Amino acid sequence: MSTIKELNISPVGRVEGDLDVKVYIDNGKVTRAHTQAAMFRGFEKIMEGKDPQSGLIVTPRICGICGGSHLYCASSALDTAWGTKLPPNALLLRAIGQATETIQSIPRWFYAIFATDLANKKYANQPLYAEVVKRWSAYVGESFQKGLTASGLPVQVYALFGGQWPHSSYMVPGGVMCAPTLKDITRAHAIMVQFKNDWLEPIWLGCTIERYMEIKSWDDMLAWVEENDSHKNSDLGLLIRAGIEFGLDKFGQGVGKFLATGTYLHKDMYNTPTIDGRNEALISSSGFFDGENWHEFDHLKVSEDVKHSWYDNQKDGLHPWDEPLPTPAKSQPLHETDFDGQYSWSKSPRYDGHACETGPLARVIMNANPNNKDHQIKDPLFGDIMKKMGPSVFTRVLARVHEAPRLYKFIEQWLSEIDLNAEFYIKPVEKDGKGFGATEAARGALAHWIEIKDGVIKNYQVMAPTTWNVGPNDGKGNPGPIESALTGIEIEDPSDPVEVGIVARSFDSCLVCTVHAHDEKSGVELSKFKL
Amino acid sequence: MANVLWLQGGACSGNTMSFLNAEEPTVVELITDFGLNILWHPTTGLQIGDQVQELLKDILAGKIQMDILVYEGSLIEGPNKTGTMNYFADRPMMDWIKELSAVAGYVVAIGDCATWGGIPAVAPNPSESTGLQFHKKAKGGFLGADYVSKGGLPVINIPGCPAHPDWITQILVAISIGRIGDVLIDEYHRPKTFFTDFVQDGCTNVTNFAQKVDGGFGTRGGCLFYEVGCRGPMTRASCNNILWNRQSSKTRSNHPCLGCTEPGFPHNDLMKGSVFKTMKYMGVFPKEVPTGQSKLSYYIEAGFQKIKPSNKKIKETSI
Repeated sequence: MSTIKELNISPVGRVEGDLDVKVYIDNGKVTRAHTQAAMFRGFEKIMEGKDPQSGLIVTPRICGICGGSHLYCASSALDTAWGTKLPPNALLLRAIGQATETIQSIPRWFYAIFATDLANKKYANQPLYAEVVKRWSAYVGESFQKGLTASGLPVQVYALFGGQWPHSSYMVPGGVMCAPTLKDITRAHAIMVQFKNDWLEPIWLGCTIERYMEIKSWDDMLAWVEENDSHKNSDLGLLIRAGIEFGLDKFGQGVGKFLATGTYLHKDMYNTPTIDGRNEALISSSGFFDGENWHEFDHLKVSEDVKHSWYDNQKDGLHPWDEPLPTPAKSQPLHETDFDGQYSWSKSPRYDGHACETGPLARVIMNANPNNKDHQIKDPLFGDIMKKMGPSVFTRVLARVHEAPRLYKFIEQWLSEIDLNAEFYIKPVEKDGKGFGATEAARGALAHWIEIKDGVIKNYQVMAPTTWNVGPNDGKGNPGPIESALTGIEIEDPSDPVEVGIVARSFDSCLVCTVHAHDEKSGVELSKFKL
Repeated sequence: MANVLWLQGGACSGNTMSFLNAEEPTVVELITDFGLNILWHPTTGLQIGDQVQELLKDILAGKIQMDILVYEGSLIEGPNKTGTMNYFADRPMMDWIKELSAVAGYVVAIGDCATWGGIPAVAPNPSESTGLQFHKKAKGGFLGADYVSKGGLPVINIPGCPAHPDWITQILVAISIGRIGDVLIDEYHRPKTFFTDFVQDGCTNVTNFAQKVDGGFGTRGGCLFYEVGCRGPMTRASCNNILWNRQSSKTRSNHPCLGCTEPGFPHNDLMKGSVFKTMKYMGVFPKEVPTGQSKLSYYIEAGFQKIKPSNKKIKETSI
């Protein structure tokens, strides 16, 4: 007999911010899910009428986890609006800021947010469970403290150039504020080496970075695990073995379409910033992957639906430059929400009409694009993994951690390319206009659109990775990526719906969740499960 | 030993990220060596859904003692004082905070949003955000000027955007080892041990400030007070004594101090001409002068320094 139930989780936690989800469960399987972002601050509204450079101070503070990424976008948006000139040193130091923030987030996210769920009792009868608990239990796990402590090192490098992490504003239109000296560069190298020696090679990889980067296919990866005990028993080796043993490759697929806005503007290819010249200048390429083919990214194909968002006075399908500043509508707690109407503070971004997953998996898929140029990352691994396994919680997590060795190499290279005798900043001329800046935050595509009129901000729109991933149904009733990824999952124990948490956390959402479930037959809310 | 509950309202999680950077003690050492028991935290908590709601209810019922309530993020009262722009665990966050603050041993507000509203409270304040016991410079905020916790103290404010991890961990340690009596607070409820010095104290450009030598973006040496809006001489915080991420500070990396530990940040509400620009009268005289000096005496002193022929940039031409 089929029984459809409604399950309410508020909050899920370990997703940054406030997210509610409602799932309909039929015989233990989720048949439909709705995500609800549950907090509104109105940052875009705050910037209206303010100094054009306000975004440099305000937007990093939208998100303390990806503040450097917001800064990368905010400074780029002003660069394109004002038509600045950027010296190579400035592009290098911005890229280093972005890369150190992202590599920091890899161990911090993996240990503090994701891996503790694998120590959940759900997996207690799996052979590798004891080892997972020993390593990854919250606070007391052997690797937990080492990984968490090491995660502070890359952002020490960020602080050398930006003064502090989080919440610096050191990237400004025309360049960067800092003019580092030799001692800053040597210290930065030394800190990165410490990060490698404390965690990245001995604990995470069990081999050298160079050896790891020889892996080009899923078969290579499996062979690498089995090559010796050091690989097998590294945290990455354990993640691959336990991930498959625990079946993480079997759920949380999502929408199967991917978007990356790309990042790391090449030091010699973006000295005259323009929106049109951006794609070519990226080291980590942008693009849209429809499941089979890669397409060039065009920011004009981005739009947002708001049919199910708590905003009034806006039509569906507007490009950010055409969107009005937000007019908040009346919100409801989850148990009073009508999911046919407005139900989230998040909007529903679409690319050419498609819901897209964004994040590390989208990035590494773009890295596998055979059309990438010589200055761009060319890495076929995830093209192969997507063909053999497709998207899943496991694929998503593997993509996230796969970036650490490459980012380490980039940071070392970019530090070595800084010319201490050259300029770091070229003072721009302020003017009215429209601008667009984008990057890849650790957790995915991030973009800012600005319009400056009469010397003040007329419009500012931010589209964050979590907006892409966690957004509600669009105007046509198509679900967002996390809503889609939750559909079909099996919830073994409704009193501990860890599977919902695992899926949401695999996206590294910047939100806090509530999951809700109904008796669909009677339409009456069942008494809540005790979670 | 102390039980800590950490909640986030209108927050960016920046203070949590800052806290996770802590060393001596690390977050793990706080738990394993200093006996802090984190009942729940939004980024690291293991409980999910109704488990969290049950915990909150047990705290309110007195079944679980909450020694410290740490609050990060603004207190969202919108729209129209309903607080429904910020639901948490199926209720407006503000309703939880009202009740939890009544049973808390001590309440610690971390970051500018929790202390006095921060960026969300900048006009037009779309979410009707305020701080726990201040709204910008005005005492009151959400809990009211007269609020004291069960431990007998008002809200302890650890401002900053974000707060430095040491400012957070040392106050938590002080409470857990029974030295709360030594935590003296100033007129804005900031622990004096961290917020008596000015940001300028320890700044590597203090000589250039004294000799009125200008600095700017992308150059070495020179003081940022004159052209790019540095607030180091008006801002109380130990940023140049207890460095950030063990390495640096804003002013040491040629980044003007934004004054983020003073109520009112972002100052001048981000009005045109106030961001990374020193606001001046007649294009010459800075509108704000170092704390403790009258404008006239400052202008006279600065004028003398500027015209003295011996003064030129003590430039760190060395790379």
